[in-house]
Amino acid sequence: MLLSAPQMEPDAQAMITEPVLGRVAAGDPNAVRECLARYGGLVWSIARRFEGADAEDAVQEIFLDLWKSAARFDPGIATESAFVAMIARRRLIDRKRTRGRRPTIDPVHELPAVASDHSGPDTCAEANQAARALDQLRPEQRQVLLMSTAGGMSHNEIAAQTGMPLGTVKAHARRGLMSIRAALLGVQSEES
Amino acid sequence: MQRAVEGLSDGEAAELAELGADDDVSFDLAAAAIDIATIRYEDMPAGVADKVLLAAGVRPSGMTIPTTLPGVLPQKFAPAAAPSTLSTIMSAVEPAKPSQDAPVIPITQARRSRAPMVIAYLAAAAGIAVGIGAYLWKDAQVVEKVVIQDPPIKPTPSPSQARRTLLESAKDVKTLAWTATPDVAAKGAAGDVVWSPSKQEGYMRFTGLATNDPKVLQYQLWIFDKDRDDKYPVDGGVFDVGPDGEVVVKISPKLYVHEPVLFAVTVEAPGGVVVSKRERIVVTAAPPKAG
Repeated sequence: MLLSAPQMEPDAQAMITEPVLGRVAAGDPNAVRECLARYGGLVWSIARRFEGADAEDAVQEIFLDLWKSAARFDPGIATESAFVAMIARRRLIDRKRTRGRRPTIDPVHELPAVASDHSGPDTCAEANQAARALDQLRPEQRQVLLMSTAGGMSHNEIAAQTGMPLGTVKAHARRGLMSIRAALLGVQSEES
Repeated sequence: MQRAVEGLSDGEAAELAELGADDDVSFDLAAAAIDIATIRYEDMPAGVADKVLLAAGVRPSGMTIPTTLPGVLPQKFAPAAAPSTLSTIMSAVEPAKPSQDAPVIPITQARRSRAPMVIAYLAAAAGIAVGIGAYLWKDAQVVEKVVIQDPPIKPTPSPSQARRTLLESAKDVKTLAWTATPDVAAKGAAGDVVWSPSKQEGYMRFTGLATNDPKVLQYQLWIFDKDRDDKYPVDGGVFDVGPDGEVVVKISPKLYVHEPVLFAVTVEAPGGVVVSKRERIVVTAAPPKAG
């Protein structure tokens, strides 16, 4: 069966590309539903990584934060996905700090996929750039950065697990995150 | 930077605000981007989504009841017409009939005073009060019986049912037949994959694919997208095959798929991998090339 280039239904395309947080901030209940439909999986997945079986409570707190923060979203600074993920991370890190525990997150086994030169839709732009930038890091920087951010490990824990000196771990994490940040900002990394 | 990875104490956050640096979210966004790029995507359970909406004061779509507390199902009987005037209130209450046995105590005319009039007013007031009370009591008996019960649970369709629904409802869904490779797990394997680009939804159907022990090995779907580097296809999710004959599996893509040019299933370690070494590819499905 011959496949033609997939043509998205106009409503589906609009739903995916038009920001929704502005309407959430304006109190549109339909926008709230749409936001949840669009980003519920992302928030749930991040929460599951940090909280495991306790993700449900965390998700409710995250969305409450998101409804309160919706007015602060600036499309000139980040895509909605990145903003939502940032809100989710902050709440999850706060929950862990409150409980006085380090996040126990499944370690990342492999590097994330590196996107091609074609950017995906806005929902993937930062992820594609981050993945590409991660691929460019030195292996030890990449390892430490993933263990720190995606893995939620402290520098001491990383040092213990890898055998690297603590100062080296901190330097790798710092330089790695700065490189990712530079990639997202579209500027030359200070470390390169 | 510390906020992005480990968070800040109240004191540290205050110090950052004093420095005017708390608005810079670039490191937070960088850490968030790493999360998006590396998470294993899962759909949010419907029950969790409903709770999030209710907490936001938004009724989940498809929910017709209740309008008061969640789980409270009012069952209304036909209410009595509400009277609006005092006279109708009074007429709604039958005047108390004096008991046959009650003694009648005449008011002596010798003590002619305002007492009888006062008593009459008090009696009228009491009658009104009784009338109102009787009406309210009657109304309370009639208005509502409230039954607390769990909201009706929509049954989750099976992957087979969901696949049929997709085929019936999506205008752009395509069906591609699997081609088995020489891998031993694919001996006798057949089936198809259906995918709707507009809905970003699809299902795999297999017969004859070897049963796996999830503690040892799992199957993983990869979707090669025309707009992505083919070194890094989109992860379509891990799944297992049991001994039940035909198996239908929902596809769970971790990223948006623009135009799939190839679906491939590999054998991986339990939990799957972020990047496959492609040492064992069991089945593939591809659209015919144009031209």
